[in-house]
Amino acid sequence: MNTRSLSFRLVTWYAGVLTLVFVVLGSLTLVFLRHYLLSSVLDTQARRARQIADTLIASVDRTGEEVMTRQVEELYSPVVNDRFIRVTRAGGGVLYVSGPPHDGTFVPSDVPTLGAAAFDRQGVFERTVSLPSGSLLISAVASGRFIVEVGVSTARTEETLRQVLLLLAVGLPIGVLIAVSGGFVLVRRALEPVSRIAHKAEDISQHNLSERLPVVHSGDELERLSISLNHMIARLEDAVQSSKRFVADASHELRTPLTVLRGELESLAQDAQLKVHTRESIGSLLEEVDRLAEIVESLLALSKLDAGEASSERVRFDLGELVTLTAEQMSLLAEDKSIRVECDAAPDVIVEGDRSRMKQVVVNLLDNAIKYTPNGGNVLLKISCDGDNAILEVADNGIGIPTEALPHMFERFFRVDDSRSRNQGGAGLGLSIVKSICVAQGAEVDVTSRPGGGSCFRVRQPLARGV
Amino acid sequence: MRILIVEDEKKLCELIARALKAERFAVDEATDGNQGWALANSYEYDLIILDLMLPGMGGAEILRRIRLQNQQVPILILTAQDATDEKVRNFEAGADDYLTKPFAFAELVIRVKALLRRGPVTRASVLRVGDLEVDRLSQQVKRAGMKIELTSKEYALLEYLAANPGRVFSRTMIIEHVWDQSFEGLTNIVDVYIRHLRSKVDDPFPTKLIRTVRGVGYGLGESTDA
Repeated sequence: MNTRSLSFRLVTWYAGVLTLVFVVLGSLTLVFLRHYLLSSVLDTQARRARQIADTLIASVDRTGEEVMTRQVEELYSPVVNDRFIRVTRAGGGVLYVSGPPHDGTFVPSDVPTLGAAAFDRQGVFERTVSLPSGSLLISAVASGRFIVEVGVSTARTEETLRQVLLLLAVGLPIGVLIAVSGGFVLVRRALEPVSRIAHKAEDISQHNLSERLPVVHSGDELERLSISLNHMIARLEDAVQSSKRFVADASHELRTPLTVLRGELESLAQDAQLKVHTRESIGSLLEEVDRLAEIVESLLALSKLDAGEASSERVRFDLGELVTLTAEQMSLLAEDKSIRVECDAAPDVIVEGDRSRMKQVVVNLLDNAIKYTPNGGNVLLKISCDGDNAILEVADNGIGIPTEALPHMFERFFRVDDSRSRNQGGAGLGLSIVKSICVAQGAEVDVTSRPGGGSCFRVRQPLARGV
Repeated sequence: MRILIVEDEKKLCELIARALKAERFAVDEATDGNQGWALANSYEYDLIILDLMLPGMGGAEILRRIRLQNQQVPILILTAQDATDEKVRNFEAGADDYLTKPFAFAELVIRVKALLRRGPVTRASVLRVGDLEVDRLSQQVKRAGMKIELTSKEYALLEYLAANPGRVFSRTMIIEHVWDQSFEGLTNIVDVYIRHLRSKVDDPFPTKLIRTVRGVGYGLGESTDA
C-alpha cells in the first residue's frame, strides 16, 4: 500500500481524529456518569436518613427504642436491600445497627463508630468509609440526640462504571474501524476518477493528442480539474499541430530552391571545359544538395505520417515473403561487406496494412543492420507469430548500441555518435520513419542491444484477422 | 517542337528553358497563372510544363481549362507536393505526367521526350552503345561479340542506362526505375550495383563505357549534354 497516496493520508488523519474524539468523549462520559451515580445514591440515602430521623426518631420518646428499631427493620429492611443503617445516640452508644447484607459487600460491625465531634454538626453530612471488603458510602443526618446513618457499598456503582468502560473499550475500536473502512470506501470512490484521469493521461502521447481525458460530471473540483487538463491538451495539440504544419510547409518551400540549386549545378558539372578541381567542388556541392533533399524528403514523409496520411492503403500480405524478397534485393549490399544475411521466415504470417510502407521499414532496418555490422558479420531476419501478433526481428552481431542511447533511438536526428553515423551518410531520420510508419500501421517497434554484442530491432504487428 | 513552361519561380523557369533549348526545343516561358493560360489559349503547343502553385490562376485551374477545350496537348505537372491523392486527382483532371521537386533535370528531359513521342513509337529491341549490345527481347548483353552474364537487377540497371546513352542519371532516378520507392534514400545500393556491373561490362575491355559524374550520377557512353 502506498503510504503517500492521498486516500491513505486522508483515511489515516480521519481515523486519528476520530479516535481522539471518541477517547475524549468516553473519558468525559465516565467521569460524569460516576459523578451522577454517586450523587444520586447520596441523595437517596440522605432522604432516607432524614425520613428515619423525622418520623421514627421524633416519636421514639413515645414508642420507645424497641419499637423504633423494629419499625426501621420493617420499613426499610436494610438486610434485604443491602443497606447499612445505624442510629447512634448523642451520648455515645449505638441504638440500632442493621445486620450483614445479603450480598455481603460489607460487615456493619466494621464500620467505625462516630466520634463525639460528629454531634457538633447539624444537618446532612457525607463520608466514605474504606473497609477491607470495599468502600461504603454513608450519608448521615444529625437530629438532636441521634445521628442516623444510611450507607451502601460503592461496589454496585463501580460495577456499573466498569461495565460502561468495558462497553467503551470494545465499542470504540469497532466504531473507529467501521468509520475508517467506510471513510476509505468513500475516499476511494471520490478519488477513483483521479486514477481514471491519470490512467488516461498516461496513454496520451503526441500520436493521439486528439483524444481527451474522461470528464467526471460531478460538479466538484475534479470536474474542473479534468476540464482544465483537457484544455491544456487541446493547447498542446494546437502547438504540436502547428509545429508539424511548420515542418511540412518548410520542407515544401525548400523544394523549389533545391531544384534550382541542383539544376544549376548539374548543368555546370557537365561542362567539359571545367578544371578538375572545379568539377570536384561542384560534385561535392551536388552531394550536399542531395543530402539536403534527402533530409527534406524524410521530414516531409515524417510530417505526412504524423498527419495520418500514411495508411491509406490496406492490403493483406505475407510478411515473411515481403522480408525475404527485400532481403534478396539488398543482398548485394551485404555481400559487399561480406555480411551473411539469414532469413528465417515462418510460413503464412499474414498481416494487413500498407505493403510499400512496411517494405520501407524492412529496408531501413536491414540497411541499418548492414551499416553497423563490421565486415564478415551476421544479420538475422526472423519472422514469427506470437499469439495474435506477427513478429519481425532484425538482429545483428555488430557494434551494438550504448545503453544510455537506447531510449532515444527512434528520435528525430538522433545519432548514437556524431562522427560514426555521419560517415555512413543519412541524417538520423531512418529509424524515426520506421517508428512513425509502425505507429501509423498499428504496429510497435522496439530495440534491445548490448554494446559490442549487436542489436535487435523488433516489430510487432497484429496478424490479419480471419486467417 | 514548341513547349510552354508555366513556373512562377523565375530561376527554375529559366533553368528548365535552358535545359530544353539545349535539346533543340522551342520554349515559351510564363511566370504566373494568367500569363500561362493566355499563352496556352493562344498557341498550339506540343507540350506544356505546368507548376501547380502559381500566383494568379492556379495550375489545377489551367489544367482544367485546357482539358475543357479538349486539347490533346501532353501536360507535365511540376509540384512541391507529392501527396498521392493529389497526384491521382491531377491525373484524373487530365495530367499526363507528374514530377515532384526537387527533380533531376535529366529526369525532366527524359520525361518530356517520352511524352512527345507517345503514340506510335517503335522502340528498338536492341540498344547499342559503342560495342555494347543490349537485347531487350532476350535480355541478353554482348560486348564486342562476347556474351556477358548479368543478374536481373544488373540487367535492369544496364538497360535503363543504355536506353538513354550519353545521359547522366541521378541515383534517385536509378532507384525509382530499377528498384522501387521503398529504396529511396538508399543511394549506396546503386553504387554497389554499378561497381558489380563495371566488373563485368567494363573491366575486361580497354574502353570504359560506364561513366561517373560526381554528385550527379552515372551514365553510359560519351556525354551528349552540353
